[in-house]
Amino acid sequence: MLGWLFRGLRQGRITTRYPRREERPPHGFRGHVEVLDMSNGSDDLIQLCPTGAIGVDDHGRVSLDRGRCILCGECVLAAPDRFRFVAKYELAARSRPALVVSDDDLPETEPTRESLGELAPALRRSIHVRHIDCGSDGTEEWEIQALWNPYYDIQRLGFFLTAAPRHADILLVTGGVTPAMRGPLERTWAVMPGPKALVAVGTDACSGGLAAGGDVIAGGVDLVLPVDVYVPGSPPAPIAIMHGLLLAVGLLDVGEVAA
Amino acid sequence: MTSISHRPKARPDDLPQHLGAVGEPGPPNEIRLKVGTLAFRRAARMLRIAGARLITLFLADTPEPALVGAFALRGSLVVLRAPTEGADPLTYGSLGEFWPAARWSEQELIERHGVHPLGAVPEHLTAPNADSLDRKVHGLDAFVIPYGPVRSGVFEAIQFQIETGGENVARMQTRPFFKHRGMEDLFAGLTPDRAVYVAERVAGIATVAYACAFSQAVERALDVQPARAAERWRAVYAELERLACHFDVIAKEAETTALYVGQARFQILKEQVTRLRARLTGSRFARGVVVPGGVRFAGNMSLDELSGELDGIEEQLTRDRRLFLGTASMTDRLIGAGHLPRDLIEDYAAVGPLARGSGVSTDARHERPYGDYRRLGLQVVTRREGDAMARVNVRFGELFESLRILRQAVDHLRRGDGRLQTPLPTGANGSAFGWAEAPQGELVVWVELRDGLVHRVHIASPSLRNWALFDHAFPKDVLTDFAFIEHSFGLTPAGADR
Repeated sequence: MLGWLFRGLRQGRITTRYPRREERPPHGFRGHVEVLDMSNGSDDLIQLCPTGAIGVDDHGRVSLDRGRCILCGECVLAAPDRFRFVAKYELAARSRPALVVSDDDLPETEPTRESLGELAPALRRSIHVRHIDCGSDGTEEWEIQALWNPYYDIQRLGFFLTAAPRHADILLVTGGVTPAMRGPLERTWAVMPGPKALVAVGTDACSGGLAAGGDVIAGGVDLVLPVDVYVPGSPPAPIAIMHGLLLAVGLLDVGEVAA
Repeated sequence: MTSISHRPKARPDDLPQHLGAVGEPGPPNEIRLKVGTLAFRRAARMLRIAGARLITLFLADTPEPALVGAFALRGSLVVLRAPTEGADPLTYGSLGEFWPAARWSEQELIERHGVHPLGAVPEHLTAPNADSLDRKVHGLDAFVIPYGPVRSGVFEAIQFQIETGGENVARMQTRPFFKHRGMEDLFAGLTPDRAVYVAERVAGIATVAYACAFSQAVERALDVQPARAAERWRAVYAELERLACHFDVIAKEAETTALYVGQARFQILKEQVTRLRARLTGSRFARGVVVPGGVRFAGNMSLDELSGELDGIEEQLTRDRRLFLGTASMTDRLIGAGHLPRDLIEDYAAVGPLARGSGVSTDARHERPYGDYRRLGLQVVTRREGDAMARVNVRFGELFESLRILRQAVDHLRRGDGRLQTPLPTGANGSAFGWAEAPQGELVVWVELRDGLVHRVHIASPSLRNWALFDHAFPKDVLTDFAFIEHSFGLTPAGADR
């Protein structure tokens, strides 16, 4: 046991100070796709995307739905003058339309519910989180588990994992919902006491991702239950999920990098 | 089960004659044999006697609709094909009776494709319902615990129906397929370089293995040889993936035995490998790099820097391994737990660290070397004990072996870059198997191409094949041993359910 202690001491502190200090992704990290030029798009652009995230309207205005983007990079390779990868973690949003990047002045979209933090400010430093897998590819689970490793240690911010949905304040959902998981998802949500929040983690949970093209999965979690925070990414990095959780409890605002 | 006292040596040339089949041309390492549906069972039985390992059974569509069985036999893949034209309802003699490994495949054939293997009993496994519980118990005071699909902790959805009187596990039933997403059907109609994104998402924690197996199947079908530099980068990404998955298993073993410092140490190593992958490829799971024909780009890092990172990981791993194996509270729980004897492994045709922990030396990188593994050489790590400790020890051995291979691949890369992508012929037809050794075990992918587009894909995932053994992993173990026996399997429901 002493050996383990000395190993730990030798390592020193490795835990991130996020959100008090910004965490920068490594150079070349595929965080999200930025649209450099939103005008004069042709229908060819739509064909570039395997999940239909790129849209072009009648006036040639280009839009990109981050909730569908799987970060494959086809568009960046084919049209580098128009699309570019940006290394960034903070991409979560409080409504589905807010994930769509476009030229349009979208009307301010209302969040699904008041955030947990507004409803119960005293709760903010003790939040119990429950996770349910409804058909992910397995990577989102790894990235959520990573939040409790020494690098991210989300317990320092007052987030605890709980096994019982009856104790949970936040439900993390991964994957577009498969027919067999629909019932368990609805029941898990129903027994959680209010105020509560539902966070969709990953592109599959936001929109169904690639699987939405098939016969089994129709789309994202919001087809079954209202979602408070969408965290896009295939899969989203641990910091991105942490940002989504902070958004859900109102400790951060949308787009804010560090508190 | 059939007991086989001696095994006659079957030479590949004699196979058609022995099995009453007709040989057909196929890609290298693939022995294609055509039989009638009525002779299918007998031929499969002969293959078993010859020492073959069953990989999968499925319905193919190229060159004509057929029932196909894939078997691994001494460095070759034996493909048994029984055309089904005119057979309605489609039927054949079930293999499950003499080969338990056929169980999951036959259930899928019955429930999803309307095939009727004679002698097989439908088990209603592939469309599970969280409320349907098999309450039959086999003793007084016994009850059934439905564990899952929503489980404690952050785990993928799967259900275990555990029959217990409180301590001993009288019966265990694994119920996968809760997260069946119809992934195999998503491939149809896509171009190969777009279909690879689907392959990457079948089982995300083995992204590179799935991308490689799929890409190699396409390359074999179209007779394309990827460039050497591309094969080297594939090996680098694949071995980094193995490091991450094995670190994950060991961290979870430490967690379930409440050795939280050990858990933290191996989580740190796993995160370091994940960050290394993010620096090399821009994706923490090395996604969007491996494509049919090669790789999209070389690692975004100098080779000196990469070997420096590998040295750092190896140094830490050496120290942490010594502490881990020296912590008796940990090893005491693992030794003897979840014992799987060698014959059971062979009956169920298990693969990966699970098989190697019970003395079965099977590794796709060694049996049918592909890509850069033809040049790298591999020492297959095996243990004989067959318990959870053996499976952890196999993984420790493989971690060091992976680091050795990684160094060698990096050295080869220093000799020069060269081309990374070989263009695929457009509008071509063909079909072939591709394979890769995923961290969970041997992964085999069947791909059919028509007019340059993917027509049909079948995936034989290591997770599904190995999970059949979990029902037998509690011979003397109690309910509290559940978690670390499960983690010692190291499987992923996403891969099993597809």
